Amino acid sequence: MGQPALLLIVVLALPAAGAGLCLLLRSARAVLAVLTAGVLATGLVSACLAAAVFGTGPLNALGGWLFLDALSAYHLVLLALVFVLSTVFAGQYFRHSPQALDRRSARRFGALWFGSLAAMTLVLVSNHLGLMWVGIESTTLVTTFLIGVHRSRESLEATWKYLVICSVGIAIAFMGTLLVGASATRTLPVPSDAMLWTRLREVAPLLDPAPLKIGFLFILVGYGTKVGLAPMHTWLPDAHSQAPAPVSAIFSGVMLNTALYCIMRYIPVVEAATGRTGWALGLVALFGIVSMLVAAAFILFQRDVKRLLAYHSVEHLGIIAVGLGLGGLGTFAAMFHTLNHSVCKSLGFFCAGRLGQIYDTHDMRRMPGTLRASPLWGSGLLLSLLALIGVVPFAVFMSELQIVKAAMDAHAIALLVTFLAAAGIVFIGAFGHATSIAWGTPPEEARPQPAGPVDALLVVFPLALLLLLGLWMPQPLRDVFEQAARVVRPVP
Amino acid sequence: MTGYADFLLLAVLALDLYVVYSSRLAACVRASALQGAALALLPVVHYLETPSANLVHVLVMAASALAFKAIFIPRLLMRALRDAGVRRDVEPFVSLHLSVLLAGVLVGISFWLATVLALPAAGTTHLFVPTSFATFLIGFLVLVSRRKAITQVIGYLLIENGAYIFGQSLAAQMPFVVELGLLLDLLVGVFVMGIVIHQINREFDHIDVDQLNLLKG
Repeated sequence: MGQPALLLIVVLALPAAGAGLCLLLRSARAVLAVLTAGVLATGLVSACLAAAVFGTGPLNALGGWLFLDALSAYHLVLLALVFVLSTVFAGQYFRHSPQALDRRSARRFGALWFGSLAAMTLVLVSNHLGLMWVGIESTTLVTTFLIGVHRSRESLEATWKYLVICSVGIAIAFMGTLLVGASATRTLPVPSDAMLWTRLREVAPLLDPAPLKIGFLFILVGYGTKVGLAPMHTWLPDAHSQAPAPVSAIFSGVMLNTALYCIMRYIPVVEAATGRTGWALGLVALFGIVSMLVAAAFILFQRDVKRLLAYHSVEHLGIIAVGLGLGGLGTFAAMFHTLNHSVCKSLGFFCAGRLGQIYDTHDMRRMPGTLRASPLWGSGLLLSLLALIGVVPFAVFMSELQIVKAAMDAHAIALLVTFLAAAGIVFIGAFGHATSIAWGTPPEEARPQPAGPVDALLVVFPLALLLLLGLWMPQPLRDVFEQAARVVRPVP
Repeated sequence: MTGYADFLLLAVLALDLYVVYSSRLAACVRASALQGAALALLPVVHYLETPSANLVHVLVMAASALAFKAIFIPRLLMRALRDAGVRRDVEPFVSLHLSVLLAGVLVGISFWLATVLALPAAGTTHLFVPTSFATFLIGFLVLVSRRKAITQVIGYLLIENGAYIFGQSLAAQMPFVVELGLLLDLLVGVFVMGIVIHQINREFDHIDVDQLNLLKG
């Protein structure tokens, strides 16, 4: 076991140790300091791991149970990026009343925050499909209490819905995992290999298609619940709107993607086993397009700014699923869009959270004049909403354009028309919301708060990244997307 | 030793139907405890009929299933029931008679699905797969058709039990650690649900899920 492989264990152990440490600390300030340091350290390790994977190829550890290839390395870096940004933001957000944390809730928050990082890392580094499932289930259990850091009737309701709907979804995914394992019993000589993804991928054409197909349906519906694909998305707007803003940012920025990542793992295996007929791809695209349509309808009549962002998550995860379902250039675009969505949505929740503190509401009818009440957060929200709906020259537009092109290449006309219609409805709806809160006169009770250099960095960095990637994509990044896409894309 | 696995699985199926038909919450919890005990015996009986797996593995699995499913979780739920002061799940969204009818249909679907899938039979019984699907689907039915948060947890338990039975039929593929991880996750999951129910009860003075309707749109 080489050094990079050892790092694979370190990247898991670091946040787990951090979670324990947080429970021992004496002040809220210390917890936030340890959080920042711990998340940064984990981020650095993730970056080293990704560099090793993209430089020399996949890594293995613990007898093949842990595994990192281009797809998971890319998601690991994304996880680190969103977590670093959100942790810095959490430091700013929890400083202001009424969201200031006392010692007990700070400890709990710190432990759960590290815990969710550890759980999501486990999902990404495990090669064993059962272990991956354990990771997703742990994510649900850990994040449940993050929604209700500030306890209220609404947050309790959101917590209950989240817990029950996602637990059931994950139980379905477990059935699916078992069925996929069962499809390999006749093929693999060593039965315990049947749940190692690398082994399954090797023998994919020999798998028993009947249990595998039903298993994939279970996987898609089960993990799809956690992704927030319609019609299993009903927990998502409640949880995203009730959770504190930094938590909404990691929910939307990485947790949904981590669940979608699990579905991605199964796509090439199922496609290879069903004779590359596009059966699995078609299903993924179908769920994606339905999610876009449902989200579009809810975005049009939305009143709450955090629920608006939550429905945008349903829409964008739908877009990524459509990209995956198209294959070819679409898979590449899905990888690109994943980055764009995560960065943009984190920014959106940061701004919406701080504006919510300034206005003391998330009701868009009662928060006009955000640009005047807080030039920084107001313009951040406006620009992130514009970027989300695909305004040029932001990167979201570019990745959506690539998906449109992929649909044309595949002659998927019905899909293309529906995609454009849904994106159009979202554009009209969200454009109206974005402009209606940006201008106007802020109400008397709004309490503008000064924004410091860290705040400015949190807004400028994501925007600059989105702008840069919209105008120019560096070749190394293109290679990263291409290598990650190659893992998912069924070879023709 | 043939027939004991069949007997256990039929008992599991009967307990599923009992949960569907009973509106008394304590009786439902007891039925789930009994089902948990049957499920703890299942790997042992399965081992005696077809000794393919590792005996230590089987015994640890049986012991932990017994501790979690038959003792710990039911006690947790009983306590939650006492704290919330509810005894019956009256006026379910779907009437009890209709529920039983639907449960019958679900059992039929499960047997059909098992034939379609034609998975390699586990040991001497062909009931593994259909019972597992039936328990899984009936868990769903209970989850969506009842009003109290506790009944939803019982539905979730049935769903998990269904998955557990299916896992037993594939014991050879499932490494020990993952199986234990699964049981532990289930335990923590129900524990977390118990805490949230407690918080809901304190905040709202009831645990009726249909009255959790502040968040819309």
